[in-house]
Amino acid sequence: MLAYTLRRLWQFVPTLAGVVLLVFFLFNWVGGDPAYLLAGKIPNPETIANIRKQLGVDEPYAVQLWIFVKQVLSGDFGVSWSTNERVSEIFASRLGPSLTVLVPLLAISTLLGMAAAMLVAYVRGSLTDRAVMVACTVGQSISILVYILVFQYLLAYQLGWFPVQGWGVTFIDNLLRYAVLAIIVGVAVSLAPDIRLYRTFFLDEINQDYVRTARAKGLSERRVMWVHVLRNAAIPIVTNVLLQLPGLLAGAFLIERFFGIPGIGREVILAVERSDFPIIKAVTVYVAVATMVINLLADLLYKAIDPRVVLK
Amino acid sequence: MNLLEVRDLAVDFRIDEATRLRAVKGVSFDVPVRSTVALVGESGSGKSVTALSVMGLLPKENATVDTHSRILYRGRNLLELAQRDMQALRGRELAMIFQEPMSSLNPVFTVGFQIGEVLRRHVGLSGRSVRNRTIELLREVGITDPERRLDVYPFQLSGGQQQRVMIAMAIACEPKLLIADEPTTALDVTVQRQIMDLIAGLQQRHEMAMLFITHDLALVSEIADHVVVMRDGEVREQAPASQLFRDPRDAYTRALLACRPPRDRRPQRLPVIDDFLGSGRHASIQDPTPERKRGLRGDEATLLEAKGLAKSFHFREGLLRKRELQAVKGASFRIAKGKTLGVVGESGSGKTTVALLVARLHEASAGEVRFEGRDLLGIEGRAAMPYKRRIQIVFQNPYASLNPRFTVGQILTEPLQIHGVGAHDAERRAMAAELLAKVGLPPESLEKYPHEFSGGQRQRIAIARALTLKPELLICDESVSALDVSVQAQLLNLLQDLQDEYAMSYLFISHDLAVVRYMADEVMVMKDGEVVEIAGPDELYAHPKHPYTRLLLSAIPGRAQ
Amino acid sequence: MRQAGVWGLAWKRFRRDRLGFTSLIVVLFYAALVLAAAAGWLARDWNTEAGVSFAPPSFLGPEAADSPQLAKAAEGAQPVADYGIPDPLAADLAEIAKSMTGGAAGQSRAPTLPLGGDKWGRDVLKKVVKGTETSLVVGLAAAVLATFLGTVFGALAGFRGGAVDDFFNWLYSVFTAIPYLLLVLAVAAVIGQKGVLTVILILGLTGWTGIFRLVRAEYLKHKVREYVLAADAIGASPARRMFVHILPNVSHVVLVQLSLHVVLFIKSEVILTFLGFGVGVDTVSWGSMLAEAGSELLLGKWWQLTVATVAMALLVTAFSLFTDAMRDALDPRLK
Repeated sequence: MLAYTLRRLWQFVPTLAGVVLLVFFLFNWVGGDPAYLLAGKIPNPETIANIRKQLGVDEPYAVQLWIFVKQVLSGDFGVSWSTNERVSEIFASRLGPSLTVLVPLLAISTLLGMAAAMLVAYVRGSLTDRAVMVACTVGQSISILVYILVFQYLLAYQLGWFPVQGWGVTFIDNLLRYAVLAIIVGVAVSLAPDIRLYRTFFLDEINQDYVRTARAKGLSERRVMWVHVLRNAAIPIVTNVLLQLPGLLAGAFLIERFFGIPGIGREVILAVERSDFPIIKAVTVYVAVATMVINLLADLLYKAIDPRVVLK
Repeated sequence: MNLLEVRDLAVDFRIDEATRLRAVKGVSFDVPVRSTVALVGESGSGKSVTALSVMGLLPKENATVDTHSRILYRGRNLLELAQRDMQALRGRELAMIFQEPMSSLNPVFTVGFQIGEVLRRHVGLSGRSVRNRTIELLREVGITDPERRLDVYPFQLSGGQQQRVMIAMAIACEPKLLIADEPTTALDVTVQRQIMDLIAGLQQRHEMAMLFITHDLALVSEIADHVVVMRDGEVREQAPASQLFRDPRDAYTRALLACRPPRDRRPQRLPVIDDFLGSGRHASIQDPTPERKRGLRGDEATLLEAKGLAKSFHFREGLLRKRELQAVKGASFRIAKGKTLGVVGESGSGKTTVALLVARLHEASAGEVRFEGRDLLGIEGRAAMPYKRRIQIVFQNPYASLNPRFTVGQILTEPLQIHGVGAHDAERRAMAAELLAKVGLPPESLEKYPHEFSGGQRQRIAIARALTLKPELLICDESVSALDVSVQAQLLNLLQDLQDEYAMSYLFISHDLAVVRYMADEVMVMKDGEVVEIAGPDELYAHPKHPYTRLLLSAIPGRAQ
Repeated sequence: MRQAGVWGLAWKRFRRDRLGFTSLIVVLFYAALVLAAAAGWLARDWNTEAGVSFAPPSFLGPEAADSPQLAKAAEGAQPVADYGIPDPLAADLAEIAKSMTGGAAGQSRAPTLPLGGDKWGRDVLKKVVKGTETSLVVGLAAAVLATFLGTVFGALAGFRGGAVDDFFNWLYSVFTAIPYLLLVLAVAAVIGQKGVLTVILILGLTGWTGIFRLVRAEYLKHKVREYVLAADAIGASPARRMFVHILPNVSHVVLVQLSLHVVLFIKSEVILTFLGFGVGVDTVSWGSMLAEAGSELLLGKWWQLTVATVAMALLVTAFSLFTDAMRDALDPRLK
């Protein structure tokens, strides 16, 4: 196990190098000259030159790349182009709100998804099964934007059950008042794809020979499903949940943006809208590292819960 | 007194929206108390479906049992029982073991847990007593070191051990009826012998009745009191075992008994089903066709000679270490022109690897293969093409060796195209049609796709493909092993006819000793990557020298016949 | 012409799935709509301000309009008949009212439109048709690009193995280390310019990873199958084995992936455009309609939101159901 972990960590290096190169290629090369963007309405050559000097984009590419690499290794990405806050400080403060929404969201949608998927898999082929599947398909075909707009309008604006936007001070206040609507929308959006995916996992297991053996032993259907099938299906489900995490971190940005939750996602959207390159670069690198670490954790977890797995 | 009475069992399967298939068409038989009834048939006969119906394990989405069918167990109709009552019977009075032990055991629970489940459910044991009883059971089925094995997972056991665990689960509650669905088909011959002995012993000791399902009549002759022969969902004949083997009444039964290569004779041709069923001719199983001579004189020309052939696979282990798996550790043999070298061995013996090495589909790690004086393994790339033509191979799995997206015509003309044989397409198609005729298929087959043919027919197409390039050596890698006995006989006859006509040499690989004895002029026995013994077929079977050969021979079923 | 080939059999199975077949019809209907719109036969004048601002849908009638009095005054009706004395200012009022409801001199603007109008009075029905064209074109083109890249990369990596496989795996790990939407946004932010072609390139060049992984797995699986070994035995070259033998057996996976990615890219384009990074202002897309809908909702104007949502939901649902049915029909366990 230790040898495997070390080998995987060692493999991080070329991938991270690739990510750094990709980000550099996108933002420093393709990205064009940000000086014009920031110079304001009257770009006189002196101002432009000054800004370029400040940002460091007047240096040759090799030097810029070296500067970026140093930033990555030290974790200090400089300051935001729009707010002048230190980038690393921005993240530290934004992580909390993001997790306050994400963790309950993940937990609730997984549990609901699993329960629904197991029930549907059990009555496979019946009208209920087909109806639920079609409902899921329809649910997935509505853009997340619509969910956000409609839920916000109906539940917050019209009915006033939740605040339309905003964030509070204490953790409990946030969790129980401000995050609720965001979590509801998030669960509504993830439920359909989760049910479809988990249903496949359950079906794969239900059709296996060992289920037939369990029935041949005279075990009740309840036990067959809840002990034998669930234990096997849990393996891909749990690893899947873990792997969703990096995507959620960045993907919840729409939810955060519209509900005014000061999380990482919202920061990213604002940065993109303002062409605030240091933030976008830093997020990309941070999330890439997080993804690689989470992938490794998922593989180790897989090994822990599936006795058959031999890590090579 | 009958433990089980099956009356007019009929089962339908719904294949898709439109089609229904009647898998079992009205089957009736009895299983008396404490006796063994064998249900024999080839694939598609409905024997497994019958067994699953008794246990109530048919898939409910697409299988329906006819309302007139009855399955009476101790007077109660199992088909009318409520779900809960049936569950109470299963595992307790009715037990079943299946063909594939690896997939029939839950991979994420330990052996002890799975056996313990049955004890808790039906006998009501708990705690320590479950553990103790489980250890007892494991010991009874021949698992060594049961205290430790209690906590292992199924994948950590061999196939034979897994089957023993399944048996332990089945007999845990002293069932009255044990249903065994092809329990040894997936196991090596030597392991099969052990498991059969175990089952026979357990049955006697626990006074169980047994319903034994198999396609292997030889196996049946050893253990059955009563035999039921099925074909296409119907019972063709049922009789006490001794009577059935001595004097079979039904033509199909006679055909089944005759199609196997006999132990003591070697007829020119094997009888096939059609001999018995088609023309209405009443052939007897003592067919007086002349015998075929096998064996090498010693002065035949050598077609191919292998010296020190070896193949290793490397795996990464730990941080830096590599692990080596030696599939073949140094094999040397000679194939004479126009003669057959048979290779026998169990799984892991390396026999298939040897075949792939000779065919140059795998790269050898060491050794040489001399063909017409040149070392084949040293030739690279394009220069190897002419040699590719002269050594061809037919694989085991008829369902995987033909490209599903090609028509038969495309499959057969492709080799001709690649090697530039034939001036244009029409000529190539004519050659393909000729070859089809040689293997006994009509020319219309050229337009069809592989999935429209049966397993045996697909193997014929594979043979035809191999013949397109007029090879001098044909490697048959378990080419008949996946086929039913009756089809096997047809294909063996075909291969023999082709050898007679073209004077091809064969490298014939199989785990089936009887078939190899029938086909080979010389037999090579392999174990764990090494050649253990090489001798003429009669000599080897009569006077085996190596202990492993002796073990193999003693494991062949059908001694009681 | 015998239809026993894999595609023929699959088609027969597909036809029997009524839900799937209906979905195909719906998709084809949309396709026809798109072709008509692209050719200019439909909705060419979507940009003209044909109706009054926020014109309600026709089936609701002009009473749903904002201020009935203004509307009435614009029509010149007498607002109040006071003891029979005509209002001396009526004509002037009418003039002012007309200009307030957007009725420019000489041009009369419709009080209602079939499915309503947006803030500038543009016909929502025409916008949604044109928007369908944008979304479907972007979705399809990007999916074709991504599928092509993913398939070629996957085939090479899976079949060749060794250094080639290592390279593509590295490329894959780099691209997947960054969550999809973040990657797309980052690229969009950098490119800065908008436009249909840009969106297609962005989505296509970043979306190949899923297809790559599946195609590579398929090639690894098929590479050791006996029919490929048999092809090697008769002398087929590696290229021939890769594309003549294995590719047809993998094509059903590729087709299903293509279909799934069309849906994915349609949804991605909507999000991109909504955020302001997708197609330009002169092109209408469901995304731009939803963007406008955000503020409209607060004013109680729900029609643009509903129409865009229904149009998108209908297409995506039909496409998804069609993909499911296609996947079932192509199930290779048939053989």
